[in-house]
Amino acid sequence: MTEATAHEGQIEAASNGGLVRVLGSIATIAGNTVREAIRSRVLYLFLVFAVIMIGAGVLVSTLSYVDRPRILQDVGFAAVRLFGVAIAIFVGIGLVHKEVERRTIYTILSKPISRSVFLLGKYFGLVATVWLITFVMALAFVAVSRAAGAPVTLVHYAAFGLSAMELGLVTAIAIFFSTFTSPMFASLFSVGIYLAGHLSRDLRDLGAASESETFKIFGAWAHRLLPDLEGFNLTTHAVYGIPVTFPDVAYPVLYAMGYSAIILIAAMLTFEKRDFR
Amino acid sequence: MSELSQEVVRVEDIVKDFRPGLGLKKKRVLHGISFSVRRGEIFGFVGPNGAGKTTTLKILMGLIFATSGKASILGHDIGESSFRRHIGYLPEGPYFYDYLTGREFLRFYAKLCGVPRAQIAERVTNLLEAVGLAHAGDERLRNYSKGMLQRIGIGQALVHDPQVLFLDEPMSGLDPIGRKEIRDLIWQFRDRGKTIFMTTHILSDVEMLCDSVAIIVKGKIQYQGAPKDFLKNERHSAEIVFAGLEKSIQAQIAERFQASVRDSDEHSQFGVAEDQVDDVLRALLEKGAQVVSVTPRRATLEMIFLNAVQEGGR
Repeated sequence: MTEATAHEGQIEAASNGGLVRVLGSIATIAGNTVREAIRSRVLYLFLVFAVIMIGAGVLVSTLSYVDRPRILQDVGFAAVRLFGVAIAIFVGIGLVHKEVERRTIYTILSKPISRSVFLLGKYFGLVATVWLITFVMALAFVAVSRAAGAPVTLVHYAAFGLSAMELGLVTAIAIFFSTFTSPMFASLFSVGIYLAGHLSRDLRDLGAASESETFKIFGAWAHRLLPDLEGFNLTTHAVYGIPVTFPDVAYPVLYAMGYSAIILIAAMLTFEKRDFR
Repeated sequence: MSELSQEVVRVEDIVKDFRPGLGLKKKRVLHGISFSVRRGEIFGFVGPNGAGKTTTLKILMGLIFATSGKASILGHDIGESSFRRHIGYLPEGPYFYDYLTGREFLRFYAKLCGVPRAQIAERVTNLLEAVGLAHAGDERLRNYSKGMLQRIGIGQALVHDPQVLFLDEPMSGLDPIGRKEIRDLIWQFRDRGKTIFMTTHILSDVEMLCDSVAIIVKGKIQYQGAPKDFLKNERHSAEIVFAGLEKSIQAQIAERFQASVRDSDEHSQFGVAEDQVDDVLRALLEKGAQVVSVTPRRATLEMIFLNAVQEGGR
């Protein structure tokens, strides 16, 4: 056996793991995506602003004589969710677009990995980044709350957990749009779906209360098709000490996984057919 | 070994239509091209900008899809992905991940190609050495010069020791030293029995490097074969520069010998076939012209290329 064929044989052997190899490739791309994100300045800019806003909750709460801890935590949760979504959408779309724009994707797709594996790697890398940032923001939230004497309960942690699941879903939507449209349109569509997703329950309820049959059907279908993002919002429960049941947490988690999977499959189907001109 | 198994790349009647913008009208950029690349050769895919070189290469790399036609690499249909572990690819003017160091960059690609984990570190060090970047392995790519990026790009394409290397304009934008370094790398790779497919519009590189070429103009293959064969078939010619002849007489002589004519303020110039030089000179001198110079012109790939472009444009 020559050196070349021996080397080739080793690559074959290492490559024939099937599922193991696919998972390995996804992990490699995901790891690289996390590295790219944490080495970019934009992410830190977002993070610094988020932490400043969480800290600003202390100042805002001093404007009130009552419910200072609640105001502090309302502002804190708003900061975590706002910056989380901003990072999921803008950093997510930016990173996928950059791969095509800078032609880095060309060399990756010329390797023995499919486009779907690339996209999944990118997705999980982005989700890991967004979760990492959420974790840091949650730490800042807890630190500020403790310093200001505001209570931090299990419900607070559940609220952060569901926020993280919501961001996973939003990242899938952002990736889906970035597989076929420009960053500007992908951002607009993603922000639009995010806002509409938070109103989908209201649309359903308005439809149900309406006398118009058409609006009733529209409201019901809008709620079915749009992501029901208000289901991930436990911040009111956390801030006002409203009890949370197991299904309140488990159902949104399953919903996020199912919805994200469907969106990712649609993204993969679109990406597989795309011409990289 | 059979003729077919000698073929590493085979392209058959590939057509590619693009839809510019949102319109329904299609634009055909490849008009049914066919060619093949044989094992162990340096193949030059030559053409002017916009001829369809990169489009063809992108189809072979699975980055865009042909409208019709077939293509295979190492006997596998290009729609498959498993054979890609035997090929390496360097796109034109690549950026790469500038936040990675050279070493991290190669390690990333080695992992993607399924190089066994235990061998990655050694392989990456050897490759950095081979592409002349051992000193810059721990520097981030954003600090690399264009030539260094091109070399690390070739490193990325070689990381899994492929059988075939596809290079899109590997010399473009490089200074003479950078070009020499890339040429040396290509030769080294060929000497190890591998096949190289390169697109280029720099003809001196083709003449120096390529065993075989295909010239593509406006999405059609105009020539395919060894560069030397083209040069052999091309008629040799000469340029005669002269002065002091009336335009009407000059036109008569040009017509008689089918010479191409170029005029400047001081001189006129005839381009004639080499075997007619004596007769043309005699005719010019008889009519009182002062001959300034006679320069033989060897047919170069450039002339063939320009002819092909002119023919393609018709």
